[in-house]
Amino acid sequence: MGAGSPRARAAAYFLPRDLHPGAWWVWTLGLAVAASRTTNPWLLLTIVAVVCHVVVVRRGEAPWAMAFRIYLVLGATIVALRVGFRLVFGGAEGSTIVLRLPEIPLPAWAAGIRLFGDVSAESLLGGLYDGLRLATMVICLGAGNALANPKRLLKAMPPALYEIGTAVTVALSVFPQLAESVLRVRQARKLRGGTGGRRFHALRTIVIPVLEDALDRSLRLAASMDSRGYGRSGTARPRARFTTGLLMIVGLGGVCVGIYATLDGSTPRFLALPVLLAGLAVALAGFRLAGRRVRRTRYRPDRWRAAELVVAASGVAVAAALFLTSGVDPTNLNPSLTALSWPLLSWPPLAGVLLGVLPAFLTPPPEPTDNADVADAAEKVTA
Amino acid sequence: MSGRTRTARTLALTAAVLVAAAAAAPGAAAIDHSKGHPGYCKTDTGVTVVVDFQQLGGTTIVRCNPQGTRGTGLDALKGAGFQIAGVQRWGEAFICRIENRPSAVEKIPVKGNEGYREACVDTPPAAGYWSYWHAGNNCAWNYSQWGVKNRDFVPGGFEGWSFSLNATADSNPRPRIAAVRPGTGGRACNARAEPKPTTNDPNARQPGSGGGNGGTGSGGDNGSGTDGGSGTDGGSNNGSGNGTGNGGQGSTTDPATQPSDGPVQRPGALPPPRPRNAGAQQAADDPSRNVAFTGGENARDVNDVVREQSGASDLAPWVAAGAVVLLAAGTTVAALRRRRARRA
Repeated sequence: MGAGSPRARAAAYFLPRDLHPGAWWVWTLGLAVAASRTTNPWLLLTIVAVVCHVVVVRRGEAPWAMAFRIYLVLGATIVALRVGFRLVFGGAEGSTIVLRLPEIPLPAWAAGIRLFGDVSAESLLGGLYDGLRLATMVICLGAGNALANPKRLLKAMPPALYEIGTAVTVALSVFPQLAESVLRVRQARKLRGGTGGRRFHALRTIVIPVLEDALDRSLRLAASMDSRGYGRSGTARPRARFTTGLLMIVGLGGVCVGIYATLDGSTPRFLALPVLLAGLAVALAGFRLAGRRVRRTRYRPDRWRAAELVVAASGVAVAAALFLTSGVDPTNLNPSLTALSWPLLSWPPLAGVLLGVLPAFLTPPPEPTDNADVADAAEKVTA
Repeated sequence: MSGRTRTARTLALTAAVLVAAAAAAPGAAAIDHSKGHPGYCKTDTGVTVVVDFQQLGGTTIVRCNPQGTRGTGLDALKGAGFQIAGVQRWGEAFICRIENRPSAVEKIPVKGNEGYREACVDTPPAAGYWSYWHAGNNCAWNYSQWGVKNRDFVPGGFEGWSFSLNATADSNPRPRIAAVRPGTGGRACNARAEPKPTTNDPNARQPGSGGGNGGTGSGGDNGSGTDGGSGTDGGSNNGSGNGTGNGGQGSTTDPATQPSDGPVQRPGALPPPRPRNAGAQQAADDPSRNVAFTGGENARDVNDVVREQSGASDLAPWVAAGAVVLLAAGTTVAALRRRRARRA
């Protein structure tokens, strides 16, 4: 690296490697924040397309990377549910009736609830836009899980975040691992030729092995973490540990509330910056206390290099673009459904969202798995 | 089949379905300005709708909804040709914009938040919202105790919308147009008083209201003039003449108190109807003090204005759709290529 012709430098830059997981998470969260700012279906669809493209081009071969499909299914389910609820619980808001269902009369104590009846295009579209926004955010999180290696993320945690980081990483990797278990159990069932069966039987033959698998895996994980010194309380007294834990939980709770209020335009402002800052202060005190007694060294730490910066900057740019447009030109971010019309779209937010696709071209590809064993396992999982 | 191809196919399919769903949205059907007619209603049929922008600036608009059947306040507003927007949370049960005012780009100097902009997502603040009024002909303006979808308009009477900025329940500005149809000045007010809300249920309807177009319409319980039974009887306005005679019944008016369409009462719920104390003012304002108004003849179509304000481009959605399709294709190709490379 460093010296050499531009071509050589470019070649070095694009040398296949796995990027820092933090960079991918910054990118992912940037896109999720952008999605939370708008209900414009054009923007949301573009975000989903961008995310899918980058994931398929840049994910590795690991099991957690294979779980992305499940997030897509989850997103589709969310949209279907949102629209379905508008069908069932009265979707007559608006004047363009597209479907006339017989209304089921309800007793007086259920006043305010309506079952079926007329369904208007406005309410269906409202459900669609709203569901699409949530689905997009879920898919963004799925992309984070697919692109970032949770184990390396744990390695990159600063010592102060050590306790929280362990919990968060374990929690984050539960879903991908369950997904992997499901795929594996299904594969095994197929090999045994047991796919016929009744529905209930099929469910039982998948759910029980998956749960057993999850239990086994967590025991194994606990044992391996224990043997590596995780969760070691060191020389700290119980009271000090309690204080540290309390400070961190209260602080991080405050940070969560503050961030939510900052991002969501409709929450009272006093919940935004003041709570965020107070939470941050408390959490930092907790981190200081925690960091003082955790001493760890890192083996071959991941570094932030140019490619990581590109990825993170792209995510931040998308979020910033949507924040700026909602300040300058908020008309299109929440399309009105009162006068039914095509959702309008202006150039700045669209261009901003399209910045998110840069990592697909400007980052090195993931490391190919040349290890025959791993490839074999991946093949098994994927098939 | 491998997971990758399947993923790619799922992606392509999802994209296709979503694009198709977005494309299936019906075309523009704006509330057109051809509805209703400018100015006051000429007869007792229909209802005159007054929209006073107050501190937002802009000329007050007076239009008539000539509809002969009964209808809600919302029907009156729409039937007169006004283009409105409800908040996303409550739909048209809570009106946040009339004729695109306050628009999404307009700063409203709400107390405590000088740069407030109405996004029409959640309930507007109590310090800046459209207050809802009604009046019988020759009567004083009444702050509506009922929501816009929960009461019927008074045929021959008036519906008023007045932007309330930094006002309290007692100082909500009433529309600055007297509720007097030209040529009927000096006659007695004989609209019946509206029953007060008795529950906290936001869906409760005013007793005797018939609902939307073609509702039943048996109307009120006293023989007062304009109780809107049929809405087409020519002489109801000054018919039985009990408007001022029957005690507190006649035309109670207090341009104040509880907004039924106003500030947030309970977070998480549509503000319920609120009863209020009846005042004693009965006479209409002096029509000679009316502010200047138009019939909105020259007002532009709101959809055009919004398009212009937002800088939206006709091309941008196509580019977005194109980008989605291109990215989906790229995703499929990349997935297939990676899979082939792994096989080799």
